[in-house]
Amino acid sequence: MRFFDPHIHMTSRTTDDLEAMSKAGVRAIIEPAFWLGQPRTNVGTFVDYWSSLVGWERFRAAQFGVAHYCAMGLNSKEANDEGLAREVLAELPRFAFKEGVVAIGEIGYDEITKAEEKAYQWQLEFAAQHDMVVMVHSPHRDKKNGIRRSIAVAKECGVSMSKLVIDHNNEETVQDVLDAGAWAAFTIYPHTKMGSERMVEIVRQYGPARIIVDSSADWGVSDPLSVPKTAHLMLERGIAAEAVELTTWQNALDAYGQSGQIDKEALLRTPSIDQRQLFHQNSVLRGQAPRIDEVVPNN
Amino acid sequence: MSSTREYLLRCLEPHLDARAHEWLVSACAECEALPHQPEVRFPTLISLASRKVPAKPLAPTLAQRATAHELVSGWNPERWTVLEAVRAVLVLSRAHLAGPQGVAILDEVFRHADIGELCALYKTLQLLPDNARFTWRAGEGCRSSMSAVYEAAACDTGFPYARFDDVAWRQLIVKALFVGAPLHRVYGLDGRLDEELARIVLDFVEERRSAQRGIVPATWACLGRNGGARARASLLTELSTDHAAGRAGALLGLARAGYTDDFKAYAARGDSDPLVQQALGRALAARPTQDDYAPLFGL
Ligand SMILES: [Zn+2]
Repeated sequence: MRFFDPHIHMTSRTTDDLEAMSKAGVRAIIEPAFWLGQPRTNVGTFVDYWSSLVGWERFRAAQFGVAHYCAMGLNSKEANDEGLAREVLAELPRFAFKEGVVAIGEIGYDEITKAEEKAYQWQLEFAAQHDMVVMVHSPHRDKKNGIRRSIAVAKECGVSMSKLVIDHNNEETVQDVLDAGAWAAFTIYPHTKMGSERMVEIVRQYGPARIIVDSSADWGVSDPLSVPKTAHLMLERGIAAEAVELTTWQNALDAYGQSGQIDKEALLRTPSIDQRQLFHQNSVLRGQAPRIDEVVPNN
Repeated sequence: MSSTREYLLRCLEPHLDARAHEWLVSACAECEALPHQPEVRFPTLISLASRKVPAKPLAPTLAQRATAHELVSGWNPERWTVLEAVRAVLVLSRAHLAGPQGVAILDEVFRHADIGELCALYKTLQLLPDNARFTWRAGEGCRSSMSAVYEAAACDTGFPYARFDDVAWRQLIVKALFVGAPLHRVYGLDGRLDEELARIVLDFVEERRSAQRGIVPATWACLGRNGGARARASLLTELSTDHAAGRAGALLGLARAGYTDDFKAYAARGDSDPLVQQALGRALAARPTQDDYAPLFGL
């Protein structure tokens, strides 16, 4: 099977992860700009981080046959440093139109402060003005209310519901998101919050339409194989193959494909890996033999 | 208006539909009217190009390739894409690029560039007025760990040959061996071989042999007539390996260095490998050039 993980922070992951993802059938990923675990102190580090999302990280993923797309934005946590946030937002337009940028994201609320709302609104208006998809991070505390407000503010700012993806949903929030006409993404966290088992029941209850599974794997305890693992569990538990395909591949492709930045035909072709062409002595291949024309497994 | 810009526009003609062409004309007009200091619109137009024109090959005809080399010594647009050509046209249209702020204007674009933009910009450096100003920048490209970026800066351009000092030039060549880049496409290789480069390359060969690792055939293109007895011994050692492309590369190396007796003695030993036969045939006809290493690339 092939999988699309539309929310993963590869900056924090190793080549072992990329290799395992590639083997498990993860063909395409989206890396949304996020915070790095501690607040940044100047705009230059944002610029270099965004650059790496359209540069080095894309290059690194390609070496394992994984197509790397990204979303650009100022996250909610760092929006609270208002002076810095102003400078960061001024730089955002430079990166929003780069090749492979499929959305503005991940943006939204964390503590639901005034400063967060200001940055969120600014970015929603920017997205609406340029007809872009928006990836919304929903708060971990006061989630239900936070999601309702995220949707309402997005509407006010002129974002079309077909271009709005609300992430980190659970059983309590999914109905609101689906009712609004937006896409409902679910992050599968090992140990806590949403696990694969709960995801199976959600797809059973709500069906596969506009539901997306992702890993949000980052620098914390998380699993870059969440999407394929959940897909296999769904099949095991009797969810129809088409529903599995929709929630772990096609829906993400349809939602983010609206950006015009995903070459769907190229993605459907069987990828092959040629590290001899791509690798660099200073980069990721150190001494081991390059993998040449090794076809990425598709089943 | 520069002749290289005119040339690129002619190459682009068959590739741009009316809409893309119209966009390019208006974007060029904008570039021509931009102020003398760095600003945000120019980099934005360079980015936007990816959303306006196709990323397919430029595919210049043989005659067009010959013209390119006449316009700018060493320039081979054979592997350029339409998008790269469009970006080059935008750069060549940028007002004040020839002025005292020219480097700052282009630095601003480089600082925020994604992989595709970097490749286009590095390929364009050779076309710029008074391009010695961009020598440091071109050197940065040749330090890149992204192979596509390295190739854009180092291959199919006469810029390094004409502008790099000896240290930068040798670093470029040795790096090509490290990363397995197509050294035969480094313009002017045969014209800038020296004793110091031979020493570095022969040291590198010894390191590889100690680690029991293979040697890229293009290594033997770096010696020319340099390296003396040490080079000859190293070439002869390669002839006793079971790496056919390496033997072929070493035979070309012996012929290039003028060790005709060694070369003929080996021919008499009856190595029937097709790569070796091809190299022997080539070397018997004339002194081999860097181009003769093309069939050995990647082997
Ligand atoms: Zn995230």
